[in-house]
Amino acid sequence: MFRRISKLPVRIGERIGLFEPAAPTLAPGEKLPKHTFRWDLDKTYLRTEFDSLKDLAKSAIETAADKQAYPGATALLRALRQDGNRICIVSGSPTQMRQVLAAKLALDGVEYDEFVLKNNLKNILRGRFRALRAQIPYKLPAMLQSRINIPAPSETLFGDDAEADAIIYCLYADLIAGAVSLHDLERVLTASRAYEDDAQRCLDLARRVPPASAVTRMFIHLDRRSPPMGFRRFGPRLVPVFNYFQAALVLYEDNVLTARQVIFVALEMLDSGQYALGHLATSVQDVIRRGRMARESALRLTEEAADAAQSGALSGRTDLPPFEQIAESFRERVRELGGTVAAEVAPVEPLDYVRLVDEEHEHRHRRRRQGIG
Amino acid sequence: MHRIVVDAMGGDHAPDEVVRGAAEASLALSNAEIILVGDAAVLGRLLPRMRHDGARVRVHHAPAFVEMDEKPAEALAAKPEASIAVAADLVARGEGDALVSAGNTGASVLACARRWTLLTGVRRAALAAVYPTELRRGEKDDPFSLILDVGATIDATADDLVGFAVMGSAYAKLISQNRRPRVALLSNGTEAGKGPPEVIEAHAALVETTELNFIGNIEGLDIPRGVADVVVTSGFVGNVVLKMLEGVSETVVRLARYAHKERLAWRLGLVALSSAIDQLKEVTDWQQYGGAPLLGFTHPFIKAHGRSNARAVQNAVKVAHKALAGNLCGNIARTMAELDERAQRRAGSHSDVVGA
Repeated sequence: MFRRISKLPVRIGERIGLFEPAAPTLAPGEKLPKHTFRWDLDKTYLRTEFDSLKDLAKSAIETAADKQAYPGATALLRALRQDGNRICIVSGSPTQMRQVLAAKLALDGVEYDEFVLKNNLKNILRGRFRALRAQIPYKLPAMLQSRINIPAPSETLFGDDAEADAIIYCLYADLIAGAVSLHDLERVLTASRAYEDDAQRCLDLARRVPPASAVTRMFIHLDRRSPPMGFRRFGPRLVPVFNYFQAALVLYEDNVLTARQVIFVALEMLDSGQYALGHLATSVQDVIRRGRMARESALRLTEEAADAAQSGALSGRTDLPPFEQIAESFRERVRELGGTVAAEVAPVEPLDYVRLVDEEHEHRHRRRRQGIG
Repeated sequence: MHRIVVDAMGGDHAPDEVVRGAAEASLALSNAEIILVGDAAVLGRLLPRMRHDGARVRVHHAPAFVEMDEKPAEALAAKPEASIAVAADLVARGEGDALVSAGNTGASVLACARRWTLLTGVRRAALAAVYPTELRRGEKDDPFSLILDVGATIDATADDLVGFAVMGSAYAKLISQNRRPRVALLSNGTEAGKGPPEVIEAHAALVETTELNFIGNIEGLDIPRGVADVVVTSGFVGNVVLKMLEGVSETVVRLARYAHKERLAWRLGLVALSSAIDQLKEVTDWQQYGGAPLLGFTHPFIKAHGRSNARAVQNAVKVAHKALAGNLCGNIARTMAELDERAQRRAGSHSDVVGA
C-alpha cells in the first residue's frame, strides 16, 4: 500500500508529461538486436502540419483516429520490426502527446521498443524557452542514450526535411563512428545554442558511447518536397525519398527488406488512394535517375516480386492487373531512361557541422520571417 | 490520372525553365503525371535541383531536339528522335493524354499533325492564340480573347471556319469559364454579305446554329476592343492579324521609351501612369494564360510561347490539365456531331421538299 502511494507522484508526473519513463536497457541474458531503426514521428511517420499556430493547435487536439500516417509508412515499420529488429521512436512532440501518439501507433498495429518525446513542460517550468525549438540538444543525447543502453551492430534512421534531421542524423552517425571529436561536438552544441547542462550531458554521453560505424542508412522524407539535390552533401548514406515505396526499394537493395515486404509497402500505398501503380513505377525511375538504386537491382526486384506474387503475396487483389503486366510497366519506366547513366552520389566528405547548424538556423529564421513556419 | 507530356527541350529557356515549370506543376496538380521528354542525362541533373514530386514527374529519353529557328519539315526528317516527335508519339500511342511544348511552333504542329488523328467531324486543326482586350469575359474576368486559326493551315473553307468556331467556343467555355462565349467571324465589314465567299457561307451556317453564341461579323478594330470572345478566321489572315497586333504593341512600347528620353514632361506623365501600366501588364500578362491550344485533334496540345519561363510553362501544363479534366476534345466532337446531324436533317428535309 505504502509502495503504491509512494509511487503516485511519479505516476502523476508521467501522466502530465513532467517525468519520462526510464529508457529501456537490455535485460540480463537478452541478446542484442541485429538492427535498430530510429524514426521521427511528425512529418516522417505522421502527416502533421505545424507551420502555423492554427496547425499547431489542431495537431494538439487531434485524436488518435484523426491522425494520418503517410502511405506505406505503417507497412514499412511493420516489416522492419520483424526478425527481432528494434524500433525506436524519437519525436520532438511534447510528452503530453504520448497517450494519443501511442494510441495512434496501436491503432496502426505498429509495435515499438522505445518511445522518446520532448519534455517541453519541464523546459517551460525551468524558463528554458530556447530549448522549446532546439532540435540538436534534444535529439542527439536522446539517440546517444538509447545507443549506450542497447548498441545494435547496425542502424537505419528515418527523418524529414522540415527540421534539422539530416544534420542531426549525420552528426550522430559520425559521432558514434568516432569521426567527430568531442571538441568539435562542443562547438556544434554551442552553435545550436544548447544550454550548458544539456551540452555537458551530451558530451558525457558521447564519451560513453561505444565506437562503431553502425549507421548504414538514413532516409529523409521529403515532406516539404525540398529539392533532393540539397541533401547530396551528406553523401550516399543519406537518401531523400518522396515516399516510402522509395525507402523500401533502397532497403531492398541494402538486403534489409525482401521483395515480398516491398510488395506490402506498395499495396498499402495503393490502398491509400493517393498513389496509383503509375506513381510507384515513376518512383522507381526517380530513385534510379538520382543514382540511389541500380537498374540491375530494380530488375532483380521485379523478378523476385513475381515469385512472391506467385506464392500468394497478391492473393485476393482482384483490383490489380496481372503481375506480369505490372512488372512490365515498371521495366518500361526503366527503359524510358534510355542508356543514360545515373549521376553518382559522391562519397561523403567530412562535414562542417558548425556551418551546417548556422545555415539551418538562418534558413529557419528566414522561413519564420516569411511566415512559412 | 491525367498524363501530360512536356517537350522539355523546346523553347528559348529550355530545358531549365521548362523543367522548373513542369516540376512546379507536379506539386500543384495532384491527379496528374508529368512526362518530361528530352535528354535524360540533362533532365536527371536538373530535376533534383527543383522542388517537385518524384512520384509524379517522369523522364522519357529523347536524344535530339528541334532548334527554334530550324525549318520544321527538314528538322523532323533529319531528327526522327527529336523530343517533340517522341512526345507526340507518346500521346499517339496512348502513353500520354495531352502535350505541352514551348518549342518550334511549326515543328510542334507538324509532329502532331503527322501522328495524331482529327476528331470526327473536324476537317482541319486550328492553332489558337490569345490577345488582351479592353472588355473582360467569363467567371474569371478573363482579359483575353481567342483568335483562331493563326497559322495551322493557310486557307479555310466555310466548313473549316464553322469547325474553328465550334472548337474556339468549346475552349473558351472551359478555360475562361465563359458559359456562352461570343463567337464572331473576322471580315471587312459587319454586314452578313461582306467578305470572301467562304466567310459569307460560314456566316450563313453559323447563324443557323443554336449551340454557339454567334454574334456575326466583326472588323479588325473590334479585336482589341474585345467585342467577341472567339474570333474566327483563316490561318493566313489570323497569322497576319496576330503579327500585326504584336507589332503594334511593340511599337507603342518603343514610342513610350522614346518619349521617356525626349522630354521631362512626357517622362513625368509616364511616371504618373506607371502604376496603371504595371496593373495593365499584370492583367494582360500572357504568361498567366499558359499558351495557345492546337484544336481539332483527339488530344489537346498547348503551345506555350517560345520565350516561356517556368511560370508560363506551369500555366500551360495547368491549361492542358484543365482541357483533359473538362473533356475539351469530347465536347468539341459532340458539338461537331450535333451540327453534322442538323445539317443532314436539313439536307433530308430539303430533298423531301424537292421530291414532293
